[in-house]
Order: sequence, then structure tokens, then C-alpha cells
Amino acid sequence: MAVGRCAIALLVAAQAGTLAGFEPVLDQVGALIAAGPSARIVTLAPDVTELVFALGAGDRVVAVAPHCDFPAAVVSRPRVHPGDPESVLAAAPDLVIASTAGNDPVVVQRLRSAAVRVATLDITSCTRLVEACRLLGALLERVPEADTLATTIAQRCAAAAQRAGRLPPRTALYVVWWEPLIVAAPGTFHDDLLRLAGLVNRAPSGGGRYPRLDPETLLDPALDLVVAPDERESRPLFAKLLTRPAGLRLARGSLPVLWLPADPASRPGPRLPVALEALVAAREANP
Amino acid sequence: MTSPGRDAALVTLLLASVCGGLALAGPAVGPADALAAFTGHATPEVRTIVFALRLPRLLLALGVGAALALAGAALQNLLSNPLADPFLLGVSGGGAAAATVAYAALPAALLGAVPLAAVVGAACTTAVVWWMARGPLGGSSTRLILAGIAANAFTSAIILAVVATAPSTRLPGALAITMGSFAAATPAALAWLAPYLLVPAAVLAWHARDLGLLALGEESAAALGVEPGRVRQRIFLAAAALSGGAVAFAGVIGFVGLATPHLCRLVWGNDVRRLLPRVATAGAAFTALGDLVARRALSPVELPVGVITALLGVPFFVALLRRSP
Repeated sequence: MAVGRCAIALLVAAQAGTLAGFEPVLDQVGALIAAGPSARIVTLAPDVTELVFALGAGDRVVAVAPHCDFPAAVVSRPRVHPGDPESVLAAAPDLVIASTAGNDPVVVQRLRSAAVRVATLDITSCTRLVEACRLLGALLERVPEADTLATTIAQRCAAAAQRAGRLPPRTALYVVWWEPLIVAAPGTFHDDLLRLAGLVNRAPSGGGRYPRLDPETLLDPALDLVVAPDERESRPLFAKLLTRPAGLRLARGSLPVLWLPADPASRPGPRLPVALEALVAAREANP
Repeated sequence: MTSPGRDAALVTLLLASVCGGLALAGPAVGPADALAAFTGHATPEVRTIVFALRLPRLLLALGVGAALALAGAALQNLLSNPLADPFLLGVSGGGAAAATVAYAALPAALLGAVPLAAVVGAACTTAVVWWMARGPLGGSSTRLILAGIAANAFTSAIILAVVATAPSTRLPGALAITMGSFAAATPAALAWLAPYLLVPAAVLAWHARDLGLLALGEESAAALGVEPGRVRQRIFLAAAALSGGAVAFAGVIGFVGLATPHLCRLVWGNDVRRLLPRVATAGAAFTALGDLVARRALSPVELPVGVITALLGVPFFVALLRRSP
């Protein structure tokens, strides 16, 4: 009799969960995320953390990856090592949110085999960012907030792209690192930033998402400008490059560098429109 | 083919690597414009690319290739072991480990010190290997190889630890050190490399006859006037300096030090005095050609030169090995 009562109670609870939005969803790599609660969330990448907080679910985040530093409320949260399933499991999460940009799919698989629900985001463009917002909204039962955030991001990106459409088309490279010269290839969200800002990415396909390029590429006359995140770490390397032959065009100013705010430009999260707007504004200032 | 004919083929290969390195190497300037740079009809930009970018890179590739090949030839003769190369004794590994640690840990403003770290790492590893190889009755080739293998295992573990824990921004650079690249070539780097190449090469040339005699065995060599202990020490230090210098400015480039001496022996025989200059030339040409392919295969994407030297060299090496008596 007691077993029967329990079964009925579970059924009612499950039904209530479904009604409340606890429905299975497909994440951005095509994995089915089972219905379940999301009261203890662990985020494994800074952009994912920013998205969860932007949806107003930050109070449910019990641990984050080491590099998560935005918004300010994240700083005091416990840290987990994204490459170590034990460290993630120790936080007793009922939902882990990972990213294809920096998380090992083998670790994700191991977490799933330990009966943990893991959603993976694969944000390679502003469109995919908007989709990720709605996916997280469904997972975190924050559908209205997700709709608002997704719409805002889409509108800001569209407005920036419209402004960029009035500028002459230019060729560009998105430099991730100056020495060795690492750039963003087609298929990355950086490439999408360039495209939305009216720039044609000169990085080739076929060498991976972030290929290492011949430094001589910076002297190619067909290259109009360079876009780079303004990171404290990369500034000395850039200054060093200016003294070298490969940096000749940069030093002379015939190859302008458009610096973007570092974190928004390096994390495909809710602040990505900030990076796009900064890029378009920089283009407008250097048409 | 006669010996002068083989020498002519080697010189042709070297010239081809030089011409290719200057005219075909990069994405920004084509062969016609590169040629114009030599006739004085090119724009300043083209001249900069050819003379300030491609030439130092080509010279670094030639120098590093010669250094690795010479070090391999010296160690194979010294240890009477056909598997000996700059990596077997852990010297290259020591340099690479120190360079990767420095690259991952130093602030960005101090990354210029990475080559210095590599030289220090190679020197320390050399000293430790030499110390480990010393027994109560002095050193021996077998002990030296065992000490080198131990040092290699240790330095490989350090490199793996760095790769596993390096910040994501530093990972590509740390990996580049382990796979080899000439992209950072500058006249200053060449000036730094020169003593690491020229002084040890002179030491090897000076002891070329002794090296040949040591291959007959220490007792036979001693009977013919060679001091095995002193000669072994000098040649080991020369090979270590060659390897350390190469790793410091180009990272780890495999196969050149192992295979080039064997290829040259198959073509020119075992006379060390005749062999060393040809080994240096062949190593230089092979490495420069490897860098050319690394830059052009998927241009402008740059492949690791160590991968190319192995991919190009192994089939050639196997073919020669199969045809040799």
C-alpha cells in the first residue's frame, strides 16, 4: 500500500514537473536532456555562467569554472575543474552546463554516465547564441526572461549589422594570439562577428577553428585590417611584433587594429552584442 | 652515381631549398616579386618580406637543420648506437621542457626569455645526464644512453604536465615549442644561434678522426692515440650545445638528427671526416625544405615543421634503407 502511495506521489510530482516546464529538451549538440530539477547548477565555462546569471538563475549556481569572473556575484562561488568529473560531481549538481568551446566531450560523457544531466551549448554565431538563450530558458524554467534576453540580443546584433551594412566591405583577420599568430577561422563566433560587422574573414578553412598562420600573412596587401581582443596579456606580444618585420604594416599604421573589449569579444555570452557594437563603432571611426 | 655527382646533387638540393625558401615560402609575395627583390625592382614591402622575414627564417632553418644533423652523426658514432640522436640523450627534451615551462609561466612581457630558458634547460639536462652516466669506473656509452632515456622520460613528463595545465591562451605557443617552428626567426636569434652552431661544429671537425676511431671500440681507439674519456666528453658537450641551441630557437624538430646521418652514410660511406660536412649540408637542406612544405601545404595556415620533416623523411629513409646492401 505504501509503495502504491509512493508511486502515485511520484507520478503526480512528475506530472506537476512537466506542467511546470520540466520537459526533455535537445541541447545544442543534439543530446537529449531528461526532465528534472535545476536547483543546483554547475557551469563549466565563463560564457555559460554569464548566460545563466543573465537569465536570473544565478542564485541556483552552486559552482563555476575557474575563469568565471562576471557578473560580480560569481566571484565568491566555489570553483570546479571542468576537466575533472570528480570535482564537478563533488558539487552535487542536478544540472551541469558545458560549452563546446572549452569543455572536453569525454568529461561530459562521463558526467552523463554518472546520471548527471548535462547540457552542452555550441555557440558559433549570434543566431546560435539566441538559440542557446531559449534552450537555457526551457531548462531553467526561465522562458519569459530567456525570450526577453534572446530578443534583445537579436535586435542589438541586427541593428549593429545594419549600421555595418552602410560601411564599405573590408577584409580582416581576427587575431586571438599574436605570437604564434593564431586567428579565428570560419565557423567560429569570432568569424560571425566579422561577418556581421561587414568584414570578410581572410583566415582559411581547413586548418581547424583557430589555426596558426604564417606571420607573413600580416604583410599581405589584400588584408585591410585586424581585429583583436584588448587583453592585458596580449599587449606586450603586440608591442614586440611591432618591432619585427612581420609587424611592419601594423607599425606604419597601414594595417589598422580594431581593439575590442576583451571579455565580451572572447566569450560568446550575453555581452557578445557589446563586442559587435564596439567593432562596428571602431569601423565607423576608421572607415 | 659517382661521388662528385652525389656531392653535386646535394649542393643542388641545398640551392633548391634556398631558392624555395626565398621565392615560394610565404603567402604574401609570389616568386616573380621575390625575384624582383634581388634585381632591385621590388617595392620596399616586398624587399622587407624577402630580406627581413624570409631570409632570417631560411638561415635559421638551415642552421638548425645542420646543428641537429651534426649532433645526430656525432652521437651515433660516439655511442656506436644507430638509434642515437639529440633526443635520445635528453638534451633536446631538457631544452623543450624548460622552454614550455617558461612559455606557460612567464608574464607576457618576459616571453622573450624563452630561448634563454631553453638553453639553460638543455645545459642543466646535459650536466645531469653526464653526472648520472658516471660510475665508479668512469662513464660508458651504455650508461650514457640509459641516463639519457631517464632524462627524456622526466622532461617528457614535465612537458605533458605543462600542456595539461597551461592557460588556454598559452597552450598554442607551448605546443608550438614541442612541434617546432621557425616563425620567430630574427637576425638577433641568428646571432644567438651562431656560437651554438659554429663552436661545436669546429669541435666535431677537430675530433672527426677520433670519432671515426672511437667507432672501432675504445681500446682500439686508445691504441691509436685517442683519449676516449676526454674526447667523449668534448663530443658529448658539442652535441649537447648543438641540440640545445636548435631547441632554443626552433623548438623540437624530430627525425633530422636521427635519419640524416644514416642517409648520408648510405650515400657516402662511413668516413667521419668526409661525412660530417655532407651531413651538415643535407640536414640544412632537408630542414629548410621541410619548413617550405610546412608553410605552403595549407598556406597561409602553418603546419608544425617537425611533423613535415618526419612525414617527408620517413618514406625516403625507408626507400634508401631497402635499396642499400
